[in-house]
Amino acid sequence: MANGNGPDRDSKAYSEFLSEAEEMLERLRGDLADLEDQRHDGGEVNPDLINGMFRSAHSLKGLSGMFGLDAIAGLAHHFEDTLDGLRLGRIALDSPQAGMIGNIIDLFGTVMASLGNEAEEDQMNASINELIANLEAGGTGTEEEDSQSVPRLLLDPTLMRALTEYEEHRLNENLRRHRIVLLVEAAFEILSFDEGLSELSSSIREVGEVISTLPSPGAAADSQIRFVLLVASDLDAPAMTRHIDSPNASVTAVPEDTGAASTETPAPAEKLEPPKAEPICAPPVHQQELSSLLVQADAPAPPPSSSVHYEESTSSAVDEEDAPHESPPPPGDGGRVPEEFSSLKSVSDTVRVDIRKLNELMNLVGELVMHRSAIGATVRTLSADAATARAGEDLGKTYKGLSRKLKDLQSSVLELRLVPLRQILDKLSRVVRRLRRELEKDVILELNGVDTELDKLMVEELVDPLVHLVRNSFDHGIEAADERVAAGKSEQGRIVIDAFQRGNHVVIQVTDDGRGIDPLAVRAKAEKMGVIVSGMELTRKEILDLVFHPGLSTRAEVTGTSGRGVGMDVVRENIKEMGGIVTIDSDLGKGTVTSLTLPVTLAIIQSLIVGSSDQFYAIPLNAVLETLLIDANEIQSSEQQELLNLRGEPLTLRSLSDEFGLPRAEDAEQVYVVVIGIGESRLGLIVDRLEGQQDTVLKPIQGPIGEVRGISGATEISEHGAVLVLDVAAIVEDTLRRRDLR
Amino acid sequence: MTDSSNTEKSMDRRGERARWEAIARAAAEAKSEGEGESDICELLSFRLADEAYAIPVERVREIVRMRPLTPVPRVPKEVIGVVSLRGEIVEVVDLRVRLGLPSEGPMRRTRIIVLHGDSGRVTGLLVDEVTKVLRVPESDLRPAASSETDVVYALYRREDEFISLMDVNRVLEI
Amino acid sequence: MQHVLIVEDSATMRSLIASTLEDLDVPVKITEAASGFEALHCLPRDPFDLIVTDINMPDINGLELVSFIKSNATYRGIPLVIVSTEGAERDRAKGMELGADAYLVKPFEPEEFCSVIMELLAQPKQER
Repeated sequence: MANGNGPDRDSKAYSEFLSEAEEMLERLRGDLADLEDQRHDGGEVNPDLINGMFRSAHSLKGLSGMFGLDAIAGLAHHFEDTLDGLRLGRIALDSPQAGMIGNIIDLFGTVMASLGNEAEEDQMNASINELIANLEAGGTGTEEEDSQSVPRLLLDPTLMRALTEYEEHRLNENLRRHRIVLLVEAAFEILSFDEGLSELSSSIREVGEVISTLPSPGAAADSQIRFVLLVASDLDAPAMTRHIDSPNASVTAVPEDTGAASTETPAPAEKLEPPKAEPICAPPVHQQELSSLLVQADAPAPPPSSSVHYEESTSSAVDEEDAPHESPPPPGDGGRVPEEFSSLKSVSDTVRVDIRKLNELMNLVGELVMHRSAIGATVRTLSADAATARAGEDLGKTYKGLSRKLKDLQSSVLELRLVPLRQILDKLSRVVRRLRRELEKDVILELNGVDTELDKLMVEELVDPLVHLVRNSFDHGIEAADERVAAGKSEQGRIVIDAFQRGNHVVIQVTDDGRGIDPLAVRAKAEKMGVIVSGMELTRKEILDLVFHPGLSTRAEVTGTSGRGVGMDVVRENIKEMGGIVTIDSDLGKGTVTSLTLPVTLAIIQSLIVGSSDQFYAIPLNAVLETLLIDANEIQSSEQQELLNLRGEPLTLRSLSDEFGLPRAEDAEQVYVVVIGIGESRLGLIVDRLEGQQDTVLKPIQGPIGEVRGISGATEISEHGAVLVLDVAAIVEDTLRRRDLR
Repeated sequence: MTDSSNTEKSMDRRGERARWEAIARAAAEAKSEGEGESDICELLSFRLADEAYAIPVERVREIVRMRPLTPVPRVPKEVIGVVSLRGEIVEVVDLRVRLGLPSEGPMRRTRIIVLHGDSGRVTGLLVDEVTKVLRVPESDLRPAASSETDVVYALYRREDEFISLMDVNRVLEI
Repeated sequence: MQHVLIVEDSATMRSLIASTLEDLDVPVKITEAASGFEALHCLPRDPFDLIVTDINMPDINGLELVSFIKSNATYRGIPLVIVSTEGAERDRAKGMELGADAYLVKPFEPEEFCSVIMELLAQPKQER
């Protein structure tokens, strides 16, 4: 079903799906880059990494299936199969395989981006089906019997049942490597088991692998929970006990089933070497393999066959072939201990907070601000009366102190929304690492100002445009090495990303030292495509600006790096949506610099929520000068005009109810006045209630009428639903014009 | 990480969404099946003051329950307010008012049909009740006796009742 | 009020399951857990009437969770549904062996899901 208006497409779940899928793809890209790094470093690939990728693919399949996105589900299914093969060792991770994974991830990205555009979707679906057909045709290869002889274990059947296929595979894999299988048991307080358990697990991971973590009954106290960890290690039980060094944990070895001799036969070497292009494929860890682990099984040892391994063919065969059975296998996960520790640490001093909680906090601050206004009113009342002036003065001081602290609190809360750019800039490093391998170009990426902060929502939106810019520089900007040398440049290309704050804006610049943009070529192309009239007079900057034109920004040739159809016009559009601007400058032969200028927080504006005639309105706080609570009799009415004497100056008042032709609340003894100002103009807006300050996201009003004078849009506020946002400039202008006409 | 969000939903917020999603799905499926047989059109039928009406399914984005409306000043009376649909702010046109019928307060079956509009603009249409999706051979449609302003462009006879097909673009010309 | 615990690492799937449950003819209260660990934290806090869990999850997998719940005197009476993606026949068999009450394959139809859930909720409460 590839209909643009397919089912559920507008549901909340669907939009959640889109963002979750986006996250998954990003994670997959990162994982793949890490995987490639590990592979290139010649080390063993971390099985958790592939399993994580498998889980992502698996979720992607399930989710797209739920939304009837059959083509995506189909692709995810094949992707899952591939990753399943990799994690279960049926497929060797070689270069073509890794390349294929990268391509599939990219394809996901493209197809996700096409969702919503019917024509594109159909086209994408066609290419996916083609790809799937190719995968199926060239894909799975010959199925060989894979039943490596492994020692049998006397394991509790309950524990065996709780192992997923993957975990079984890991168990077998470790047995095949002659590792010792242990059970580590420990009980923790339920309330805080995560910490203790992860400490225990990472301690074990220093010397082995945690295959399964099974929560079990039988803890000493009700407030406790017991875990049984199935562990494979080179250490035996006493050594593991010493290593863990915790009175809490007990280690027991899982006895081998002596009933059947474990006659391990080394696999023939030639079978271990997967052909370069075609990965070794064998069926999954089969039933017989599982049963060989179960107590009751007593079948004869199955014949030797191809082994399962993650390494590239060149490095893998050696130790299988040469290593005598008795010698301990190479230490497995020891190498990543420090990383494991550092990541745990960084987790502990950072708190992940749901952005909704931040909004709640913001709302609370808004309420406090509202109470502060009430205190301010009391201060004025007290000060006005000689009998209470003294108390008024005292309270006034406290009021000022409170106001200052409130302001600090407010900006602190706002700051919580700001996140450093580091997060996405790191992603760019991964992109560059990958491109470096794929395109075999020597390019170095330099990041400056990674701690520059931007609103969380914007940071996420920035990933795609920045990735695009970096890819562009890599692909089209930086020349080939010989070309660079001929131009008198260093062989190594450079892409620099600078981020810094300038006033209320954040500037992000992507600079490369590549070939630059030829204005003449751009001009010629623009003329040819009819974007500009030939001979039209344009400045150099205007010509360079043409690269953002949809007709020109899309490259004629499609490269895997720059992607298809996504051009600079899309980048500009994305940045514009965030309220930012993109500019480009280039020096032919020397390089190009693209600058993104963004407001620090744009998506969110601070608003004062007011109530009038049973309706709520939002007034952008940057237009609010002050709020007053006044007695109704302070209002001076003359010639259909209302004025307030504010510190000796007449202030024109306008009731918001009158402005919008709504019934005015009658006989109110006191009213609120929101003093708003645009430039030099001032206006006091009479409202019934102040509801406090809120972070608001301004949205356009959609529908047959659309824009309305005096309303700049609307925002959603949890307790009030849609709330109209006042166009302060228009209201001030209209009111003052009416006044002047009189 | 140890935090889990509790969502407690009251009875009246649970609803027929699944049913409408099913209808929408059926509509979309009907539509994709219908490709190739150009003479079948899919219509979403609904009721308004005891009369049956229908609009082409492809104009329907979703059907939502009545929810609190925020009135907008300075708009024609047909536009009874805006609603927030997952953060999207959408104007709602009371179809009764648009057709010159007496407006009634929201009833149990009152629904907002959310339409895809021109140039990506979305509009909500308030109707008394959404009935079902019909697959109708185009040849069974009869042109309505049209006047300049009439929003009904065709009629379809279903059992002993006439269903009026509405020209959505005309409806939205306010 | 029926209290349902949803254990699922995908936020989308959690809200899909939640919205399906909310459309049932019985009032439900939903607690969401994004991982097996979170579920272990949730279990002692409230008496649940039903647990819906995925299999493929980080930290502990769904089978391990099922094994724990069904071997625990306090929780074993709570009906438990495994919701997992197709193609994991082995996992399905294991889940049922471990004592899961039902197994649904994603993508599932809301109707199918609802009827399974209603059936389980309608069963007389076992001793807790």
